[in-house]
Amino acid sequence: MEEMGKPTVSLVNKGFMNDAQSAASSKGWPSLRFVAEDVPSECSVMERIDASLEKAMDEIVAGLLRPLKPEEASPKSREGKRLSRIVFKGTLQEVNRFFYKRGWGDGLPLIPPTEEAVAEMLTGTDLPPDHLVARIIPRMGKATVEQIAVNAVMAGALPTYLPVLIAGVQALADPLSNFSAWEVSTGAWAPFWIINGPVRHDLRLIGGTGALSPGDIANAAIGRAMGLIVKNIGGARKGIEDMGTFGNPGKYSMVLAENEEESPWAPLHVQQGLAPEESAMSVSFPNCHWTLWPTATDAESLLRTIAEGLFPSTPGQSWTNLLLVPTHAKTLADMGWTKETLAGFVNDHARPGVGKDFVSPTDGKGDVFTVVCGGPGSWIVLTKGGNGLTKKIDLPANWDGLVKKYKDLVPTYARY
Amino acid sequence: MGEKEGTGLYEALNPWAEADPIPLKGISPRVADLAGKRIGLFASNKPAAPRMMTVLERKMKERFPSSEISRYNAEETFLVLQTVGKDKERFEKWIKSVDVIAAAVGD
Repeated sequence: MEEMGKPTVSLVNKGFMNDAQSAASSKGWPSLRFVAEDVPSECSVMERIDASLEKAMDEIVAGLLRPLKPEEASPKSREGKRLSRIVFKGTLQEVNRFFYKRGWGDGLPLIPPTEEAVAEMLTGTDLPPDHLVARIIPRMGKATVEQIAVNAVMAGALPTYLPVLIAGVQALADPLSNFSAWEVSTGAWAPFWIINGPVRHDLRLIGGTGALSPGDIANAAIGRAMGLIVKNIGGARKGIEDMGTFGNPGKYSMVLAENEEESPWAPLHVQQGLAPEESAMSVSFPNCHWTLWPTATDAESLLRTIAEGLFPSTPGQSWTNLLLVPTHAKTLADMGWTKETLAGFVNDHARPGVGKDFVSPTDGKGDVFTVVCGGPGSWIVLTKGGNGLTKKIDLPANWDGLVKKYKDLVPTYARY
Repeated sequence: MGEKEGTGLYEALNPWAEADPIPLKGISPRVADLAGKRIGLFASNKPAAPRMMTVLERKMKERFPSSEISRYNAEETFLVLQTVGKDKERFEKWIKSVDVIAAAVGD
C-alpha cells in the first residue's frame, strides 16, 4: 500500500508492536506507521472493539495527517556494525551470561562456540563453511554451513548431527513448509522432527521408550540446535517476532526416530518417495499433543480411541501425526489397515472447530503422518498442526569414520 | 571444547547470522486533511480485522462526513493472494481508488 504511494497506518494490538516493527524492517520498511491499540486478539465482542478503537481514533487520524519526519522519508539502517568474529572471551559462565544477555540463548547452559569446537563440528559435512544452505525467515539471515555449526556447538550437538541439521534448515526454507507462518504465529507451532533411515542407528536417535523425553544427546541436541538456528540465524525471538501466546515446550526439542524395524508398514521417508536405504528428516508443526489410552487393544477399540480422541481442529491444524506403538501397528495391519487407510480414517472422523461466525476452513481434514514408535505400553499419541515435508539427509564421504569416532558416547545407568 | 589451554577462558564465535542489506524505503507523504478524501479500510481475514474495520468505518463517517469510505476484506490470511496471487489485480485496483488507508493485518 505504501509502495503504491498511499499513506497508510496499520492498527496493531499493543502486544504485537515489536513483532510488527521487526516484520516491517525485515522487508525494508522501518518507518511504517503503526497505531498501538488494545483490541484483544481475535476479538468478537463489538462493544470491546468499539471502546478500544475510540481510544485510538486520534492516533489513527494523526498517523494519516502528521507530516513525515526526515527519518520516516529517508530511513537509515538500524543494524550496527557487525560484531567481530570472536564476539566474546571469558570463562564458561561469562560466555553464557554474555550470550544470554544478547538474546542468543534458550535459557539453558550453552557450549561456547570456539574456533576449535566449530572446526570439529564442520567435520560433519563435506560442504565448505561458507556454503549458503538457505536464508531463514523472518530476518532472512544467512544459514551458512559455519553459522549452522556455531549454533550446533552451542546446543551440544556432535559433528555427526550436522548433516541432519543441514537437512532441517533446507526443510524450513522450503516454501512447502510454510514455516514463515508457523514460526511467528500466536499458535506456537513447534517443529516436530521425525528421522528415518540408517542415520537413526548411526546417531543413536531414540524411537522407542521415551523417544520424546529428555535423556539422549541426539534427540535433545538436534531439536535444540534447530531452535537456536531459527532464533540466531532466522531472527525469530520469543515475544518479539515469535508471538506464540503460551509458547510450546516442544520448541526446546521434539525429535524421534521411526521404529522401522518393528513397523508392518513402509517407513515415512519411503512413503514420501525416498529409498529405504536413504536417510531423511521429516518435519511438521504441531501445537498440540494428546495421549490416548485405549480401553481395549483389538483393532476396533484402537480405531474408536483414535476417532474419539480427535479434538475439533482450529485454523492451521491441518496436519496430523498419529504415533502408534509397534504392537498396535501390528494389530491394525493384521486387520488390513495401512498407513494410507488410517489417514483416510483420521480424516473421516476429523471435526472442524466451530464457533460463532466461524468454521475451521479445512474442516479439520488434512494430511496424516502415521509413525511407529514408542516403547512397551498401550498409549496412542496424536499431534495436530501445520504442514509437513521430508528432506533427504546427505552424508559426508568419511561418514563411517565419523560415526565410529563417537560411537562410544552412550549412557549407562546404574542399577539399584 | 576449545578452552584456551590453562586459562579457563573461551573465545566464542558470533552466533548471530549476517543478512544481506535490504534497500530501505521511506513512507509516503501524508495528506493535509481527511475531509473529502477517499479513506480505504483494509482487513486481513483474521476474525477480528473485518469487525474492527466495521467499527472504524462508522467512526470515520462520524468524524469526516464528507469522506468516502471504501472497504477491502482479504480472503486469505497471509496476504499472498493480494501480493502475488489471484487477488493482486483487484487489490491494486482498490489501492489506486483510495487516497489513504487504515489497515488491520494481524490477529
